[in-house]
Formats: sequence, C-alpha cells, structure tokens
Amino acid sequence: MKFDVVIIGGGLAGLTCGIRLQKNGVKCAVISAGQSALHFSSGSFDLLNKLPDGSDVDCPVEAAGKLDALHPYKKIGELLGFYADEAKSQLIGCGVDVVGEAGANTYRITPMGTLRPTWLTMSDFTAFPDGNSLSGKKLLIVNIAGFLDFNTKFIADSFESRGAECRIVAVSLPETERLRLSPTEMRAPNIARALEPETVLAALLSEIKSRSEWADCVVLPAVFGLSDLAPLDYMRSVIGKKVCLVPTMPPSVPGIRTQLVLRRAFERMGGVFMLGDSVAKADLKNGEIAAIYTENHGDYGIKAHCYVLATGSYFSKGLVARPDSVVEPVFGCDVDYEKKRADWYDSSFFARQGYMRFGVVTDDCFRAVKNGKALANLYAAGSVLCGFDALQQGCGAGVSMLSALYVADKIMKG
Amino acid sequence: MSANGKSDGYDVIIIGGGATGAGTARDCSLRGLRVLLIERFDFAAGATGRNHGLLHSGARYAVTDKESASECIKENMILRRIAKHCVEENDGLFITLPEDDLGYQATFVKSCQAAGIDAEIIDPELAKRMEPSVNPSIIGAVKVPDGSVDPFRLTLANVLDAKAHGAKVLVYHEVTAMIKEGDRVVGVTVVDRKTKASHNYYAPLTINAGGIWGHGIAAMAGAKVDMYPAKGSLLIFGHRVNNIVLNRCRKPANADILVPGDTICLIGTTSSHVGFDEVDDMRVTPDEVDLLLSEGEKLAPALATTRILRAYAGVRPLVASDDDPTGRNISRGIVLLDHEKRDGIPGFVTITGGKLMTYRLMAEWATDLACKKLGVDKPCVTMTEPLPGSRDEDEMPKGKSFIVKNPIRKSLEGRHGELSSKIPSGNEYDASLVCECEDVTVGEVKYALSELDVNNMVDLRRRTRVGMGTCQGELCACRAAGMLAEAHDCTKKAKDNLANFLNERWKGVYPIAWGDALRENEYAEWVYSGVCGMKQNDLR
Repeated sequence: MKFDVVIIGGGLAGLTCGIRLQKNGVKCAVISAGQSALHFSSGSFDLLNKLPDGSDVDCPVEAAGKLDALHPYKKIGELLGFYADEAKSQLIGCGVDVVGEAGANTYRITPMGTLRPTWLTMSDFTAFPDGNSLSGKKLLIVNIAGFLDFNTKFIADSFESRGAECRIVAVSLPETERLRLSPTEMRAPNIARALEPETVLAALLSEIKSRSEWADCVVLPAVFGLSDLAPLDYMRSVIGKKVCLVPTMPPSVPGIRTQLVLRRAFERMGGVFMLGDSVAKADLKNGEIAAIYTENHGDYGIKAHCYVLATGSYFSKGLVARPDSVVEPVFGCDVDYEKKRADWYDSSFFARQGYMRFGVVTDDCFRAVKNGKALANLYAAGSVLCGFDALQQGCGAGVSMLSALYVADKIMKG
Repeated sequence: MSANGKSDGYDVIIIGGGATGAGTARDCSLRGLRVLLIERFDFAAGATGRNHGLLHSGARYAVTDKESASECIKENMILRRIAKHCVEENDGLFITLPEDDLGYQATFVKSCQAAGIDAEIIDPELAKRMEPSVNPSIIGAVKVPDGSVDPFRLTLANVLDAKAHGAKVLVYHEVTAMIKEGDRVVGVTVVDRKTKASHNYYAPLTINAGGIWGHGIAAMAGAKVDMYPAKGSLLIFGHRVNNIVLNRCRKPANADILVPGDTICLIGTTSSHVGFDEVDDMRVTPDEVDLLLSEGEKLAPALATTRILRAYAGVRPLVASDDDPTGRNISRGIVLLDHEKRDGIPGFVTITGGKLMTYRLMAEWATDLACKKLGVDKPCVTMTEPLPGSRDEDEMPKGKSFIVKNPIRKSLEGRHGELSSKIPSGNEYDASLVCECEDVTVGEVKYALSELDVNNMVDLRRRTRVGMGTCQGELCACRAAGMLAEAHDCTKKAKDNLANFLNERWKGVYPIAWGDALRENEYAEWVYSGVCGMKQNDLR
C-alpha cells in the first residue's frame, strides 16, 4: 500500500491533519487504534486559558507570546491566530458547529455546573460571555430518572450561587426505564441511543414542555444527537424556550458525534481510515521512515512520503511510562522527561503534574527527533508532543488542532 | 459516678475506633457496661485498615515469638467462626527459594507444631499445582491455615454489635484532654471535628485503644508509654494473582507476604522507624515501592507484569525497646497497662501492642480488667458469639429484589452477610450500580449513609468498597458525591468531599504511577480537572 501521507492516530490531531491534507489532494491514510480523547470531550475546545505562572488568559492569541520556549505554540509563532481561525473554519466546514474567537475566551459550563474559560464551544452548549449571564433567570433542571452521571444538585447549587432560581425534575419514559434494568446501562450514549427514534424524543419533549411553563430556560444533560444534530434542532423547536445543555460525565455524546463527523468528512474527501489497527514496527533507512507495518496487515508494509505521529499521550498509549523512563513506543523517538520518578508527580491531585509536560522532542517544524537527530519524514502533532501542560494551561485541543494544521502545511510545502 | 457527682451514665469511655477499640466496645457492652466509643476520624482509619488483611495462622511468628504464634492460631480459628463474612479461608504456603536455607523448614515446622499450628510439608510440585502463580523454582513448601480478613468489615461488625447493645459511638470526635480529679482520670474533653464544639464526657474508667496515637493519649493522662512507630508499606495489585497466601519460609523480612483478598492481592511490608510527627500522613517512597516489587516478584513472578492499583502505609503500634532500630524483633505481643498500678493514675487503662489478628483477645483482656475494676462479674462471650453479618443464614434477604444479577447480590451478601436484608433493593433506582468495579448499588450506598456512620466519601469507601476497584473511583466518585449531597442536603460539602476523595486516591497512586496506573490517572485528571474544571482550591 502506498499513500502520500500516513497518519498514526485517529483522534482530534490525526483527523485535523488528515482532513487538511486530503482536502488539498494529498492522499492520506489514518491508522486508528480505537476511541480517542474526543470520547470524553467537554463539548468545548480550549486554546489557552492560563500561563505557566498561573495567570488567567483573556486573549489567547496575545498571551501565547508569553509561553516558554518549548511550548508547541512557540514553533507556530506569528501564525497562531491564522491557524486558530483555520481550525475553526475547518471544524465548521466538516459539520462540527462551533462558536468562539481566538481573540477572546468565553465560558463553558462544566458537569459540576461551574463556568470555565474556553475558546470554541459546540452548538449543543451555551458559550457564556461572562459569569453573570445567569442572574435572575428561572431554570428548570431536567434529568432522565436514574441517570447518575448528571448531577442536578451540583448544577442547581452552582447556578443559584450566580443568582438564578432553579427547580429540579426527573422524567422517565418506558424506553429509558428499560435501560435501568441492567445496572450498567445508564450511560450518556446509551440514553442518547434510546432517545433517537423520533416518537421517543417527542414523548420526552412533551413531558418536559408540560413541566417547564414556569421556566425561562430548560437545562438538560447532553444526551442528544449521537450521530448528528437533528435531535437537538428538533428539541429546541419543540420546547420553544431557551435550552441549555450541560455536559455529562464521560462518555461524551457531543464528543462521540464530533469524532464521527470528522471521520466521515475525512472519508468523504477520499481519505482511508483504518479503524482498529495499530503500528507494529517501522523500517528506518538513512534517517527516515521507509515503511511501517501494522497488526492487521502483517508483513504487507505501508509506505508513504511522510508520516505523522498523532498517537496522543499516555491514555492513548502514544507515550508509555515505565518505572524508570517514558518512551514513545512506535518509532522510539526521543522523549523529554524528568529522570527521577519523584519529579514526575506533585502529591496534590489538582496541582501541576510534571508528567503532563513530557512528550516527543521535535525540531522547529515538528519533525520528530530520534537519537538526537530529526527524522526527515516523520512529523509529530497533538498531545504526544512535549513542552505543554494541556490541563494546567488549558491548551490541549488547541495544540492538537494547530500543530496538526501546521504540520499538514509543512508537508504540502515540502 | 465520679467523685464530684458528674456522670453521663457511662461506665467506660473507649478511645480509638480501630479493631481493638471497636472490639473492646463490643465486649464491654455485651457484658452489660454502658460504653462510649470515641474515634477521631473514621473506624479502621489507622493501622487496622493499613496492613495485609492477613488472617495469620501464626506460622510467621512460630520460630521467633511462640506466644504470639499460639495467640494467632487460636484467634484465627475463632474468627473463622464468629466473623465468617469477613474471612476468606484461603490457606497459606511458606515457600523456600533456592537462595533460602532449606534447613530452616524443619525448625519452622517444629515451631509451628509446638504453637499448635497445623503446618504440613508438601511436595513443591504439589504446591505449584495448588497455587500456579508461585515462583516455579521453589525447593520447599509448607502448608498452613492462613487466610484473609477484611479489617474494615470486621471493625464495623464490632461497632454494629456494640451499638446494638447500647454503646454510643462518636466518630470525627477527638479527645483533647483528660479530665482528672487528683491523679484519677474521671472523663475526657472531646472536640467535634466538624463543628469544633467541645464537650466533656465522664466515666469511672477510660480505656486507651489509640494504637500508635495511644502514646499521645497516655501522655494527656500523665502516663508515659514508650511506643515505637514502625512504618510498613504495601502495594495493592489490580486482581488476584494468587488464591493462596504466599510467605517466604525464612526469618521474617521485607515484602515476603502476598495476600489475596476480595478482588485484589497485596504485597508487603517494609519496616522502618518513623517519627511521631509523620504518623498522621504516611507516604510511600519510590525506594519502598522498588523493594516491594523486587521482593514480591520472587514469590510470584507474575507480579512484574501485573498492574498495581495503589500503595499505602500503616504504622504498627509496637511498644518500644531501645536496642532494635528496625522494630522487627519487638514482640508483637499484647500489652495491657493498668495505669493505676503502673503509674498511680486510677481510672485509666491502655491496651496496645498486639495486631489485627489478636484484636478480640486484646479486647477480652481490656474488658476483663474493666470488669474487675468496676466490680462486674460477667464472663467474656466474644469467642463464641458470632458478629452481625455472620449469623443465621436463614436471615439472608428474601422477597422482591430488583437486583437481577446474581454476582451483584452475592457481593452485597458477602460484604454485609444477613444484614444485607437491610439494603434497599425494591426498585430500579436502588438496584442500579454506583461502583461498577465492585458492584456497589445505590441501595448499598443509601444503607451505608443512613446506618453505618458515614461522614464522607473515604468513609463510604471503607464501608462499601466504592472506589476500591480497578478504576479507583473514576466515575463512581462523582456519582457517590451526588448521593452524599442528597443525603446530607449539602452540595458544597459533597463537592469538597469529592475533591478530597480524589486527592486521597492520588496519594495512593502517585508512588506507583507508571504504565496503566498513570494512564488511568491521566484520564482522571482530564475528567475532573479538565472536563469538570475542578481546581486546587476546591480542596479544603
């Protein structure tokens, strides 16, 4: 098999890179081991929320200049604003409806009912300009009876502290009651699936409507629209007042949909998506990758002019931590990590964890480094990269998409 | 009634909610004494819940400490009867590796038999068939009646029975001073850790069952008990590698016991002297982890590739002697101090030393002394009277239950015995699962919140195993926090609780956070710090 570019990893970075290349006529294959971090998305994409010194960021594009030299954004440099806009328009072009601007963070709702800064928010959710938007509102918080991953009390408490008036109700339908017979079935995607037939959704909505007369706004868990946005549009038109969805605990329905929508867009453009496969070994010749071999294709090698490593961090096994080292398992690229294990962690769960910054070392144009030298045709993008803390800095989605687009353009420019 | 006429109607105040304190509370109340049990955190929060959970046969001590060994085997047999819902009768093997002296085996078996322990030399090949995870290079094996015991369940069962016989129990209450009249202890000053309110309680006798913290409690009464804080660290693995307890057949040393228990197995321990300033916050160091792993792999090589769930450490309440820096050679024997005789402080008794295995005997000794002092003549019955949860099989729950899956019902019955009839399961909500790793239902959480003195999520974990499984509370933590918010009608407290639970969980994970443990934690960080947006200052 021969492609122009083979991308290893089918998450946000891999698909973003693949779509941009394929759209420009570059023949791509994406090798995906399975679920990606999108499956527990918050429904928003962060670009930059905090600087390493802990100070808040209002304007990500301006603040990026203050990041330290190893941060992936530093390699993108002046083009950060450009690529942020490109990322947004590519998402919208693929059918992932988002709002937000790289010049000014807005706020997203968390499953705890709190507000946190973010860049782009999916149209399922409400992007708040600030924390005062809830004052004086009458909110009806509706849960599906028995769904434990949507915490109505936490949400009501948080909204009330912002001046809203809240009432909580639980509704049930025969279809969701049936799920409850098996104690492990009450998860967001299963509920979304149960609500997919229009008759079921209509029954739910009429129940909600009958109870929502008092309210200005109906608050619901994000359990609508597993494969497309149609149920959301229908819901909004039926309820007839403002609907505010709140993300649930994982798995995330909007996240799963986003993964699906991006994959479909990539395939529609002619890209090849190899699901359930992973790279077993690679041939290296003269400082570049000559071919890769996958679990499913055995000795039948896959060749390309360029390869992109978008395998994610530890969770996705793009990085593997051993008791004494952190390694990149596909190509054995150089990984930047602290040598002493005690330096990997802070004893407080919520503090900055050293291991979050570890990742693959790259040169100025994101070519992966092995044994101190950049490989000529292997690029790295997304959370496998070193030099940033996606959680403390709130930049995970931004790094994934922007580095992926940047790498795609580097590949096309040759 | 004390000299100046103050009385709360208590005969005895017991300080410490570990196995010994709970056992003493049970024994005293069974003998008709009016009991107040005071615990500064939660039941089994100290050394009781921070050991192997090994139902010792006593074989480990047979060569070096015959008295402890024979106490162990007697108590072992008693616990199998009175606490069967807390005990797994797994048996144990003492294995000899090529690097060990096989000559020790004969001494070992002889000492076991002298102590009354049924130790039998078996063919190493047979041992390998009995326990396939054992190191295949073993050159000797001895079978002994070891087992596993769930210390949380055991302590709780004692508390429940004490309460059923009239004992009053205060958790999250800390004794801050002894009230004395002359030299006599006549009561205690207690601070409610939640409200900060202070209250005096009076009784003619106060029993100090504070474990390593008993050192400080004795000091409040003006007595000096030289405790020797010996830290022991352990690792929990993600599943049962072995089904039979594995020990090394040699003089007791580091990391030479591997105990299966419930869904997991444990390797331990290390032993090192620590200062009293450290005993409230034990942390496992990278060196200890490395030692536990390298020694553990010698017992069962599969440990090298088995996921570790967490690391933890406890402090043995050994009574000090001056000439042993490791603490290994101090007797694990029971120490009962009558401070009236020893220090001229009437009204005050300390029960310490010993170990989880001998908690019942310690309670018996302490209660015998209490009865003697209070002029009560009633025999001890705890060696024959089963604990709640281990009583009549006929009382197992019957009737309509929405728990359709047998394994879930078995989990509840295993944890609560006949008391599982109190667990609501009459509708879909009560039958739904909070914790999917450990099969904990909404009904079980409700029962624990209403009946088992649960104040926070860490307590809930000790009562029900919520969050003890493979995912270490990934999603069930948030679900349980929601239920706590409803039960206590306080969202803020439940959110604080969730943050503290996650931090407590991380404390056990970071010493071993590589491989899958790090993957799991990165995911937890994404969910809670990322998606949920929780922050450092949510911790209180």
